[in-house]
Amino acid sequence: MTGPLLEVTDLRTQFHTDEGVVRAVDGVSFDIGRGETVCLVGESGSGKSVTSESITKLIPIPPGEIAGGSIRFDGMELTDLPESDLRDLRGSRIAHVFQNPQETLNPVYRVGRQIAETIRIHEDVGKEAARKRAVDLLDRVGIPDAAERVDDYPHEMSGGMKQRVVIAMALAGRPDLLIADEPTTALDVTIQAQILRLLNDLQAEFDMAILFVTHDLGVVAEVADRVVVMYAGRVMERADVYDLFENPGHPYTQALLACLPGRGDATTAIGGSLPSPTNPPDGCRFHPRCPHAIPDCKSGDQPPLHPVPDPDAVATGAGNPAGTGAGGPPGEPVRAAGPYDDTDGAEEGGWDEVREATVSGHVASCIYYRQGYDATTVRHDDAAADGGSTDQGASGAAGDEEGGGS
Amino acid sequence: MRWYVARRLAWALVATWLAVTLTFGVLLAAPNPGADAAAAQCASQDRDPEQCRQQYLESRGLDRPAHVQYIDYMTDLAALDFGYSESQEEPVTAAIADAWIYSAQYFVPSIIISVLIGYSIGLYSALNRYTLTDYLGSFVAYFGISIPNFWFAIVLILVVGVYFREASLLGVSLDALSLRTYYETSYGVFTVENAKQLIMPVIVLATASVASQMRYSRAQALEYANADFVKTARAKGASTWRVLVAHVLRVALVPLSTILIVDILAVLFAGSFIIEAIFQIPGLGRLQLEAITQKDTDLVAAVTLIPVFLAIVGNLIQDLAYVLLDPRIDYGDR
Repeated sequence: MTGPLLEVTDLRTQFHTDEGVVRAVDGVSFDIGRGETVCLVGESGSGKSVTSESITKLIPIPPGEIAGGSIRFDGMELTDLPESDLRDLRGSRIAHVFQNPQETLNPVYRVGRQIAETIRIHEDVGKEAARKRAVDLLDRVGIPDAAERVDDYPHEMSGGMKQRVVIAMALAGRPDLLIADEPTTALDVTIQAQILRLLNDLQAEFDMAILFVTHDLGVVAEVADRVVVMYAGRVMERADVYDLFENPGHPYTQALLACLPGRGDATTAIGGSLPSPTNPPDGCRFHPRCPHAIPDCKSGDQPPLHPVPDPDAVATGAGNPAGTGAGGPPGEPVRAAGPYDDTDGAEEGGWDEVREATVSGHVASCIYYRQGYDATTVRHDDAAADGGSTDQGASGAAGDEEGGGS
Repeated sequence: MRWYVARRLAWALVATWLAVTLTFGVLLAAPNPGADAAAAQCASQDRDPEQCRQQYLESRGLDRPAHVQYIDYMTDLAALDFGYSESQEEPVTAAIADAWIYSAQYFVPSIIISVLIGYSIGLYSALNRYTLTDYLGSFVAYFGISIPNFWFAIVLILVVGVYFREASLLGVSLDALSLRTYYETSYGVFTVENAKQLIMPVIVLATASVASQMRYSRAQALEYANADFVKTARAKGASTWRVLVAHVLRVALVPLSTILIVDILAVLFAGSFIIEAIFQIPGLGRLQLEAITQKDTDLVAAVTLIPVFLAIVGNLIQDLAYVLLDPRIDYGDR
């Protein structure tokens, strides 16, 4: 079968709370190919975990609700799949690994039994056979003396070991897609590296795709094939991992990268905080914190995803007069495809065409890539920050723009 | 672990001694209706009432100083001699042996029923929080807690024993639904007739106890419903039922078992007196009530020991059950 394993299109997940409707995920699209690793990146509260848990409807419903969009997994539409069919998928074809291994295992059952439970839910296997497979799985995820540790209770294991158990549990169903929600965040750095290496090895061995949710760009650099950057429930940028690091398009991505130690200024932080989840700002959701925000960023909807020109084009753009660079060829494909992320522009038949133009390429939801705007404003800042010697000048320029914009 | 159990059993002895001593002291301070009756009888026969009172007390050794009586009583108790019941005119052990089966036969079913129904409604409510059925469950629970046992029992007797006997619905007499309103001891324990006459006491007792089981199980289930390991269980593909019973309830059982023991004892203490008085069941509650009103010290002290014993042993069993229920709890090095 061709086509991606998982296609998420215009996903909208909201929670009904006393304070109002929280649109945790508000029109998110991405896809994952077979055997591929896609990273969902964003700061806490950006909706990345909700996105990952919407796929198999692990979010609490109610108060949660998948209000729109489509999730296609291997040709199946998951959003209107009955609960019993979803249950068959969970733990077998789509497996989950969660953030905190201290909490994700049931404290009152032996680890072997918890792994065997997954096997026995999905397959007609006897107790002994399931236990034997649990031992094999524990052995595979690198637990020494697996035949004895299979009878341990979770509290008798270290955090790293528990996460290995959780991974073994996820592998029990031989999944096509592993959804790993910050699987290394609660672990210390040496264990993190081990777990990442383990996931990498297992991915090749089991030929599974991984949706990796993280806020750690260091981890992204290590594991990702492609990256989806989220902010306040929206996709800000989507790119191949090399493009993202070498050539970040969205000011938010640039700001995230600038926070990485050893890259840009180590003490840099993104000023301000996430917008109110019940009442997000108009225009680009990042504009209150964006150094490049101009009046056009502050009204209307989130800008649609526009293709980000490759580095060569940027070089040309930077060399040429500003107007030509933005209004020329880089802007063209956008107009041909139409606004991708607009709420009203979504026509049933148009999706494939839109995907063709946008999903696989490097796109960013920033007004500067739109026809008629000067992309070099955003690019230049990035280039200068990378340059090192011109750092002072660049931050000065960014400050000016911020002052002019507000 | 063995050391832990040994210490707990030693503590059980201390607690038993305390309870017996308190009971003994209270009864010693209370007036003696037997002596009063003896004095009144003498007075009516123109004899000296004070002399008769003395005679009555002397014959039972009650004229001796308090500490002598106390030491005497405790020595007998230590030899497991529970004494002779004045009010029942038989040894205390025989009186209790006759009575306990009548208490147990309404008490055990009502505990089982209230736990089953209470936990079911509680878990269901937790799962469907803030829905109409959740509110309905809470209403039933608060109804059971708020309604006094004695009033509910009397209303039940009135409705079932009187109205149903005369009423008819759509021409069909409801007499078949009427039940005995007082207990008849001549039936065997495991007979249909006996089961029928136990329905009302069981309903009254279970209504009071189901409420707390339901509220506690709902609260505990809610505490774990959002736990990460429950999400893991759902991510495994476990069914709602399996998630609820094998994961939520299984972990919630640890705190719930604590409440269960306390609750059983509360029902035993408070409920049995009223239930047995109203339905005329010759169980431990009635026995105790008669013993207290007739100052039957030996019997009162012995019957008091039953809940004390249940509380202490129950708590010990529950602490040991923790080890089975939650592998993280270990008394090994204590």
